[in-house]
Amino acid sequence: MIKTLLTGTAAAALLATTALAEEVRVYNWSDYIDEALLAKFEEETGIKLIYDVFDSNELLETKMLAGGSGYDVVVPTGTFLQRQITAGAFQKLDPAKLPNLKNMWDVVAKRTEQYDPENAYSINYMWGTTGIGANVGKVKEILGEDAPIDSLELVMNPDNMSKLADCGVHFLDAPAEMLPMAMKYLGLNPDSHEDEDIAKAEEALLAIRPYIQKFHSSEYIQALANGDICVAVGWSGDILQARDRAVEAENGVEIAFNAPKEGAQMWFDQMAIPVDAPNVDGAHKFLNFIMDAENMAVASNYVYYANGNKASQEFLIEDVMGDPAIYPSAETLDNLFTTTPYAPKVQRVVTRAWTKIKSGI
Amino acid sequence: MRRFAMIAVPYTWLVALFLIPFLIVFKISLSDAALAIPPYAPTMKDGFTALIQGLDFENFVFLTTDDLYYKAYLSSLKIALISTVLTLLVGYPIAYSMARAPEEWRATLMMLVILPFWTSFLIRVYAWIGILSNEGLLNQLLMWLGVISEPLTILNTNIAVYIGIVYTYLPFMILPIYAALDRMDDSLIEAAEDLGCSRMSAFWLVTVPLSKNGIIAGCFLVFIPALGEFVIPSLLGGSGTLMIGKVLFEEFFNNRDWPVASAVAVILLLILIVPIVLFQRNQQKQAEAEG
Amino acid sequence: MAKPSPDTSIKEFSPWTDPDEKPLIRFKNVTKRFGDFVAIDDLTLDIYTREFFALLGPSGCGKTTMMRMLAGFETVTEGTIELAGQDIAAVPPNQRAVNMMFQSYALFPHLSVYENIAFGLRRDKLPKDKIDARVTEMLKLVRLEKFARRKPHQISGGQRQRVALARSLAKGPKLLLLDEPLGALDKKLRQDTQFELMDIQETTGTTFVIVTHDQEEAMTVASRVAVMDEGRIIQVATPGGIYEGPNSVYVADFIGDVNIITGKAKAAGPDKYFVDWGGNQAPILATSERPFTDGQECHLAIRPEKISITKEKPEEAENAVQGKVLDIAYLGNLSTYHVELPGGQIIKAQTANTRRLSRRNITWEDPVWIRWNATAGVLLAE
Repeated sequence: MIKTLLTGTAAAALLATTALAEEVRVYNWSDYIDEALLAKFEEETGIKLIYDVFDSNELLETKMLAGGSGYDVVVPTGTFLQRQITAGAFQKLDPAKLPNLKNMWDVVAKRTEQYDPENAYSINYMWGTTGIGANVGKVKEILGEDAPIDSLELVMNPDNMSKLADCGVHFLDAPAEMLPMAMKYLGLNPDSHEDEDIAKAEEALLAIRPYIQKFHSSEYIQALANGDICVAVGWSGDILQARDRAVEAENGVEIAFNAPKEGAQMWFDQMAIPVDAPNVDGAHKFLNFIMDAENMAVASNYVYYANGNKASQEFLIEDVMGDPAIYPSAETLDNLFTTTPYAPKVQRVVTRAWTKIKSGI
Repeated sequence: MRRFAMIAVPYTWLVALFLIPFLIVFKISLSDAALAIPPYAPTMKDGFTALIQGLDFENFVFLTTDDLYYKAYLSSLKIALISTVLTLLVGYPIAYSMARAPEEWRATLMMLVILPFWTSFLIRVYAWIGILSNEGLLNQLLMWLGVISEPLTILNTNIAVYIGIVYTYLPFMILPIYAALDRMDDSLIEAAEDLGCSRMSAFWLVTVPLSKNGIIAGCFLVFIPALGEFVIPSLLGGSGTLMIGKVLFEEFFNNRDWPVASAVAVILLLILIVPIVLFQRNQQKQAEAEG
Repeated sequence: MAKPSPDTSIKEFSPWTDPDEKPLIRFKNVTKRFGDFVAIDDLTLDIYTREFFALLGPSGCGKTTMMRMLAGFETVTEGTIELAGQDIAAVPPNQRAVNMMFQSYALFPHLSVYENIAFGLRRDKLPKDKIDARVTEMLKLVRLEKFARRKPHQISGGQRQRVALARSLAKGPKLLLLDEPLGALDKKLRQDTQFELMDIQETTGTTFVIVTHDQEEAMTVASRVAVMDEGRIIQVATPGGIYEGPNSVYVADFIGDVNIITGKAKAAGPDKYFVDWGGNQAPILATSERPFTDGQECHLAIRPEKISITKEKPEEAENAVQGKVLDIAYLGNLSTYHVELPGGQIIKAQTANTRRLSRRNITWEDPVWIRWNATAGVLLAE
């Protein structure tokens, strides 16, 4: 009798304590936040934060479509968000719980409506471009003073690539980024879903395939910073982070980011709440926290990405706000293109082409 | 009644943990991809008749149209076979030395063989990345010794995959061979020598044939899982390393095409049935011969 | 005992007595150590061609080690072993003209009976027809023609033993070593096989060296027996010599049943001694070619069958003692009476049961007389 009573009390106490320790689970891109913010969130709200990272939209989408991911907040890129909304993977946000929505930047909000009509399901976290990261010193050594580090010629022209191969070139392991870039290089519509155009892009990429050391969506940051590779096609903020790391390490490596002048892809990373999120309330608290002007600025200052939060701009450092690579001028903005999501049959063609490019099969 | 209950337990296990999941995968392989949760249709929610009507073998037909798939199966077979042979060549001498070791050392040696399993498989594979990469331990050692002047590119090639598979599956090869050698009567070797065999020919004429069962068991235990391996080719292999496990992963994650991925899995299972049945028969024959 | 071969029917087979005869095997001061343990201690022995030689002794006496040294599976720590006059220390087992029949038979389980027997012949790279002829001959010798295609696990224990024997004889070795070959067989089969072995040894003319702990077996098959203990040979002699003329209490006790009476010797005439064995018993009269000094401790070893037992006091007897029947061991054909003497010793007397059990006249608790002749026993110094 006493034994059962004791166990019962112990169990109840345990349950009570676990209920008190509220949790919010966030699934975000790697190298995409200042860790200090995570600690700050936990302190301010008393909610335990479980923070996981990924580096591939496809991976996230699979988890979303499988259902039951267990996350409260996820961060898909716009085109993928659009598909996942169609599949019913997210729930509408409750504006009443998000007073900081007023901080958001309407210029960006307009663009993201393309993916999320009326921005009902998501808020913008950060946005950026896909461009070329170059180890300036090494590239100029190999290709000369006027090496085209701001042009697609650097990475798509076999003549240049063959010379850069030994030094090391990484491309993103993301067909949705690389195929449009190849199409732009060929003068085609980068958002083309035509089999023909995809085939041409495939050909162009196959031509330079022998010179690409690796396809990876996150390794290039450290590799560039260390001087292990000379060129990477990657995301703007990531490459700028690499630049920063090299400077900190004082290893003499100078990294430059350039959105290709022919045109670069612009993308938006949105934060959304899965339809089966365990802690919807906590999710909203997190989103509101992120949308706070100062908090968002801390994040951008750390990862060198532009964000969709107007109010945060006064807190951004000069390095970020004043860098046209991060906050492009109006005319550059005109040169940036966005893409639309692939239908399943097109997706299959794209993935098959990508497999051919990567492995030759 | 009691006998029935005893048989029922393993059968329930098999049905619940193998047959039912397999049927689910098979059903998905007969469905079509859809942008929904879950990403295929039709599902149970559509009702039973709609479910049956919506199923077809379209995905299996598709697998025959794209050469990626049969090439991946063949490549997997090739890699699995080569890995099995390599594991045998490495594992047999180790098992042999263990069987010849003084009695008091055997338990320790056995422990050493099994010890790696106590650590995470994933971490051990990652460790190989650190060893085999261009700046890794192996290249550093070879360059320091002066054997090479340029680092060898081993990581992200098929060679790294072979190393990874041999390393991971070595205990599965060692243990059955060791058991067979341990069982062997030492006086048989003396008898062979007495009748005119040199050490070497005694080994080939007596020891190897008598450890045949262990060799076969070890080979199957390596070949069957190696065929469907995914983690090792994914982490250690290059993008040119084509294995069916990776293809399945890509169908699943990159294409978000669960039905085709399921079809790939079903075919893989059918391919594996042949070696599995052979292995079963071999084990049965061995049990009969001994009993 | 080995039957004298027809060629030497004039004299018994005893090459060890012939000074011109060269031994096939010669152990010269052989010592074998395993670490600190001395398995063979300064052993010297000659074994002659066509002998059926038995190494007899308890577990751990070193007999198996000796055999393994002959086969080549153990090396000699000190001393030399010569086979046909040549030092075989450098010759590996697969090159010696010696074959062994293992205690566990060591048949190759993955080969058929035919292939097992052919194994050694194949190693010599003989032509196919010669191998076939020889294997067939061997199969006939051990009467297993019908089982040629079977595998070892498909034949009985006795048949496996015959395969092992055939295999070991197939190469016609100069020397065949048998390591406790009959241990696994039941008594009847064992006896039959013993005679078979002797026949085969004679027919093939091979020298056999058998290791056994069964003294009956050694006595049955061997031309000479070496009794061993703790790495040393205590006595080498023909079975008769061992039995009737043991050189020590150890040997006397090891073979067959024996009574040992300990006492002090006193001269009683040429080759005759009195043994004073204590109490108020009359001293025993015993003949001995071995000399004893007066007062030297000696042991009289006398076999139970040499002792007669009667209810009445014997009229004439060189040695006669009175006692009480303590126990009777009935062995069917014989009975061994355990007689307790007044001094407390127990003497065993054995007689054939010439009469049916129910009509036996001596029974438990009976007072009886036992007697024996002066020549019946052997007087030993140790």
